[in-house]
Amino acid sequence: MNNLTRRGFLGLAGAAGVTGLSACAGTGTSATSDKGGSSNTIEFWSNHPGNSKPVEQQIIQAFQKENPGLTVKLVDAGKNYEEVAQKLNAALVGGQLPDLVVVSDVTWFNFALNKQLAPMDDLLSSAKVDTSDYVDALFNDYKYADGHFALPYARSTPLFYYNKELWSKAGLEDRGPKDWDEFKQWSDALKAAVGSGKHAMELADGSNYLDWYFQNMVWDFGGAYSKEWTPTFSDPNTVKAGQYLQDLAKNGVVKFNATPEADFSAGLAGCILQSTGSLGGISKDAKFEVGTAFLPGTDNCPTGGAGVGIPAKISDERKANAVKFAEFLTNAKNTVTFTQATGYMPVRKSAVDTAEEKAYLEKNPNAKTAIDQLPHTRSQDNARVLLPGGGARIGKALDQVAQGQDVTSVFAGLDKESQQVFDNQIKSKL
Amino acid sequence: MSGLAHGAEAASHRSRGMTVAGYVAMVLVLLVVAVPLFWIVITSLKERQDIYVRPAQWFPQPGTTANYHDVTTRIPFLDYFRNSLVITLVLSASKIVLGVISAYALSLLRFPGRGLVFLVVIAALMVPNQITVISNYALVAQLGWRNTFQGIIVPLAGVAFGTFLMRNQFLSLPGEIIEAARLDGAGPLKLLWRVVLPMSWPTLVAFSLITVVNEWNEYLWPFLMSDDERTAPLPVGLTLLQNNDGVTNWGPVMAGTVLAMLPVLVLFLVLQRQMIKGLTAGAVKS
Repeated sequence: MNNLTRRGFLGLAGAAGVTGLSACAGTGTSATSDKGGSSNTIEFWSNHPGNSKPVEQQIIQAFQKENPGLTVKLVDAGKNYEEVAQKLNAALVGGQLPDLVVVSDVTWFNFALNKQLAPMDDLLSSAKVDTSDYVDALFNDYKYADGHFALPYARSTPLFYYNKELWSKAGLEDRGPKDWDEFKQWSDALKAAVGSGKHAMELADGSNYLDWYFQNMVWDFGGAYSKEWTPTFSDPNTVKAGQYLQDLAKNGVVKFNATPEADFSAGLAGCILQSTGSLGGISKDAKFEVGTAFLPGTDNCPTGGAGVGIPAKISDERKANAVKFAEFLTNAKNTVTFTQATGYMPVRKSAVDTAEEKAYLEKNPNAKTAIDQLPHTRSQDNARVLLPGGGARIGKALDQVAQGQDVTSVFAGLDKESQQVFDNQIKSKL
Repeated sequence: MSGLAHGAEAASHRSRGMTVAGYVAMVLVLLVVAVPLFWIVITSLKERQDIYVRPAQWFPQPGTTANYHDVTTRIPFLDYFRNSLVITLVLSASKIVLGVISAYALSLLRFPGRGLVFLVVIAALMVPNQITVISNYALVAQLGWRNTFQGIIVPLAGVAFGTFLMRNQFLSLPGEIIEAARLDGAGPLKLLWRVVLPMSWPTLVAFSLITVVNEWNEYLWPFLMSDDERTAPLPVGLTLLQNNDGVTNWGPVMAGTVLAMLPVLVLFLVLQRQMIKGLTAGAVKS
């Protein structure tokens, strides 16, 4: 009896061990092509940029009404763009891909480079979508090797936000600075007007996209992060911009902070550079009159935000449905609905001519600033958006510059690192 | 004499000094723990414009419960809450049962390869969760278990930590008692239920508590597996309140955090007494 249970137990233990091992060893065997997924259901993975879930649901309902045979399943795919990318990565290995997925300006390229996103151009032309109506700068942000890999969806640009009360107290004209030189001339008056314990300007720190806002500063000084794939951080003009940023910090004009928009709304900062996506929130939070202006400089405002892409390994039928929905999601009417609810930019040229948008802009002059700035935007440098880890790398270096480290040597280090990343991870795949 | 008195005085001085220092330290620790919690609670009761102000508002003026209303209407809070309960209860129960019986086998039953099995379990403890995520995802997706409770629960139910903790606890029990129970004719299960577990109560409660809190807060795996409020637990659901590109309205986020904290807090208070009770139960004559 005792012997029997003992043997039985050993057998069980062995079986348990085997199942345990098999559980560890499960990797995707069907990862090469995703045959699953219903062709009538479009699975849309979104992080609902700018708290847009209700709007997305509203657009989906309108789509289903127009296309009775199709259903759209909205999936909560993460709290930010990085989490969506993480979830997509898991699905690319493990199977069960979505039909349409939100990809941000820094996450799309890696998927496109590894042929995990489908080129949209053929799909768009067979669906008879007029791509010339998309705002050129926004559409071409997703261009790589003669193909477009996403459609612009929740797109933003930085804006110059300023406290109008403070501006009049400092005796400044009611407008943003023409360029960064002019801002420097203003900084003494602003510093005096804002008072002690507060700051004339606050900027996001390196882990909160300072590298995005600084792109504008670099361009204004005639520098760049890179020319095509060649990093140009050591370019004298780029270094000059870095020096300018360091001087602002040294002179106590600028403070770096994880959430400058919060301090600005509380009246602790005179002006900030922030995404257009923050406009709604700032207008609600601030107890003073908020002004908005173009970023300093001419035609050097970076674009940002996210688009929607289609995974490469789903069936052609699913791709055709996905592109149909992607077009609907970003058509003139819906881009107006979406952007008015969130603060993003309309992605269609014809959107500004619709009656709803005209009425809206008349009522919201600050939103109009953002749209007027759109023709003056410029696609970002490869070293930030296309090199893996580019944004974080530049952000970290800018933190060091802000803390007073030697600009030339920090930027030389960036040059070297960026070149290495390019040589190791990108060069062979181009 | 005077020297003695002096010494006693110094000692009482020192002990009074120590007492004061002890209280100061306690107050400091209390502040470190309590202030953030207090801040969460009052922020959840503030109006949006009062959240970011200087000087900071230590009491909401005027107070509002609108944030709580917001949480329960803007996201399907109750669905997330239910999912959290299901996932936490099933997972904790299976982890505790598996942990106890495997530890029992590895500590008190004698069979060949026992040491090796234990070594494998310990090795599993060394592998971080994040590494097995992709292969687990592949397996679960192939089973068609995405966005299901079993898809979330089964891959998380392995318990290297529990096995390790409980095994060491069982080994620390006096061998005489175990032997005595065996001589009295207790079978393996009876031994576990009537002798081993009652003596291990505090460790078991601590292990259970850690497990429940961990499962309640589990984020990465449920986030990858779940698609919507049918299976997503609270930590995933609450992120919908944050604005991922723009200004987050922290009032509702804090209100959601308070609501998510409550069940664990209650459990803590209840089980805390059990842990102390367990310490005094059981007695050994040596």
